[in-house]
Amino acid sequence: MRQRILTSLMVLGAALASVLLVTMPVIGQSPARKTPYQTKKSAYTPPKLPWGDPDLQGLWPATDLIGVPMQRDPKDGDRTEVTEEEFAQRQAKAERTEVADKAEYVDKNGKVGINPPGYWLEHGKPQRIASLVVDPPNGRIPPLTERAKQKAAQAKQAKQGHGPNESWEDQSLYDRCISRGVMGSILPVIYNNGTQIVQGPGYVAIRYEMIHETKIIPLDGSPHPGKNIKSYMGDSRGHWESNTLVIETTNFLGDKNGIGLNGGGTPHSAGMVLTEKWTRVAPDRMVYEAIVNDPETWTAPWTIRMPLRLDPEFPLYEYACHEGNYAMLNMLKGARAEEAAKAGKK
Amino acid sequence: MRKTLTLLSTAAAAVVCISLTLTPDAARAQSAPTKKAKPGPVKIGSRMPDGKPNLNGVWEYIGAANWNIQDHSAAPGPFWQLGAIGAIPAGQGIVEGNEIPYKPAALEKKNQNKAHWPAEDPEAKCYMAGIPRSTYMPFPFQIIQSNQDILMAYEYASSNRLINMGKPIEAGSDTWMGTSNGHWEGDTLVVDVTGLNGLSWFDRAGNWASDKLHVVERYKRRDNDVLDYEATIEDPSVFTRPWKISLPLYRRAEKNAQILEFKCVEFAEELLYGKYKKQPAK
Repeated sequence: MRQRILTSLMVLGAALASVLLVTMPVIGQSPARKTPYQTKKSAYTPPKLPWGDPDLQGLWPATDLIGVPMQRDPKDGDRTEVTEEEFAQRQAKAERTEVADKAEYVDKNGKVGINPPGYWLEHGKPQRIASLVVDPPNGRIPPLTERAKQKAAQAKQAKQGHGPNESWEDQSLYDRCISRGVMGSILPVIYNNGTQIVQGPGYVAIRYEMIHETKIIPLDGSPHPGKNIKSYMGDSRGHWESNTLVIETTNFLGDKNGIGLNGGGTPHSAGMVLTEKWTRVAPDRMVYEAIVNDPETWTAPWTIRMPLRLDPEFPLYEYACHEGNYAMLNMLKGARAEEAAKAGKK
Repeated sequence: MRKTLTLLSTAAAAVVCISLTLTPDAARAQSAPTKKAKPGPVKIGSRMPDGKPNLNGVWEYIGAANWNIQDHSAAPGPFWQLGAIGAIPAGQGIVEGNEIPYKPAALEKKNQNKAHWPAEDPEAKCYMAGIPRSTYMPFPFQIIQSNQDILMAYEYASSNRLINMGKPIEAGSDTWMGTSNGHWEGDTLVVDVTGLNGLSWFDRAGNWASDKLHVVERYKRRDNDVLDYEATIEDPSVFTRPWKISLPLYRRAEKNAQILEFKCVEFAEELLYGKYKKQPAK
């Protein structure tokens, strides 16, 4: 009897020890470096809202990512993160920028321009991410289709012999304060990178700071409107895949915005299907992914991925772009004044 | 003997449990709400889970208040080329008492605004309509009421505002849509709006206020499909006393009701910049 008890205790003891051996390293471990993307492997489950949806609410500005290139340097190949040396370079650059920001005056021998001082712009934090594009695996946007190349050539041709500032149409949709499109509204730029998620029963709403957009995403499985209803921001429908919000956006106006910063780059077609995924991987971390599927423009789909950080103190301002667009007025007026002066001199 | 064995087993089991709970995953799970999530979406009726009235939905005002917030008859519009399409419909005013108590100089400015309509109307320029005009524009808006703040997204000019339902925040710089702080008084949502920039009008008839404008809105469900809206208007530099507007907001009842996109900047560019466009060589 005693023997059996002893054995049981020893077995129990061994089991205990093995459990502790497994758990102890986990408790004590602090990873040498957090990976920027934590998707399927994340054990975090966001809290649920009272109506059952995962809570993704908050301010998720892309400010930290300012400066991360859209596309990867070809020499980096399939590497999603930069080398230690490259990261050190990014850190050094950030330090130089910080010093330059403190300068009160332009250097005595420096060139004086009309642009504001550097510190007017926001700066990101040095990131290890090699590029925003993560698929294709080389981190570079796939080639354009023949159709897209032709359109680009035609657009260039149309601009020949056309001076700058002849009309407001010479400016981008961004500088006209019309729209930056969906991707242009979230990719990190010089300032006002605010993105805010507000959720109601059956809906997710995303506010974008510059140029004040609100994307409303119904979650009820309803279909997109017919193809005769098109818009700059498209029509979005969403659903949950476990704790990931998956948004599908269609019904875009074609040949307007591109997928680049501020909506620049090659304009996408009206047939584009944009799939975005929002996954909260930690209380203050969101992984954002956008899959661009536009076979009329690019020869393959491609994916952008960004890790976003919750910043409850981020001030999301009203960006009254059009109301304050004195630059447009001044550029046109200035060009006409220049022309008049030239004509007067003849 | 058996008792001792049981005791030891229990103790061992307890230690195992404790060590298991020390893993980061379990620790996180413990800090999350332990309420079991109901299967499937939770149906929300006239009240939110926190007991507050549910204002979620797509809402729109029906009437001619955006033409003129006071009683007015039908009248020709400024462009005969549009025929009846461009004419002004009659409207029952939304001003309680139908009187707007302007100071004499302020009334003069209203008349000047009206005389320079439509070119001077911020609506023609596609400028954001501010509060309260955004509420009764001939475009729907959507209320997204979360468990925290309340978002209002207006179809007109893609404008929006977030009503802060927490501790009131002070308006920073003046904005077109103002700074909104909200709280509940029983079943009425009361929204205090300050920090408006005085550049919006109340309607197409030139009614206006300065950047001292202070608006207190009240939203109350009349039934599932109607919201009763009231706003108290106060601007001591323009009006001799506060005054009120009130109007119903109707729920858009289409099965697929949604706000669409009205980015009107493109429609206003010729009006705003046309005279600075390069003219073709004569």
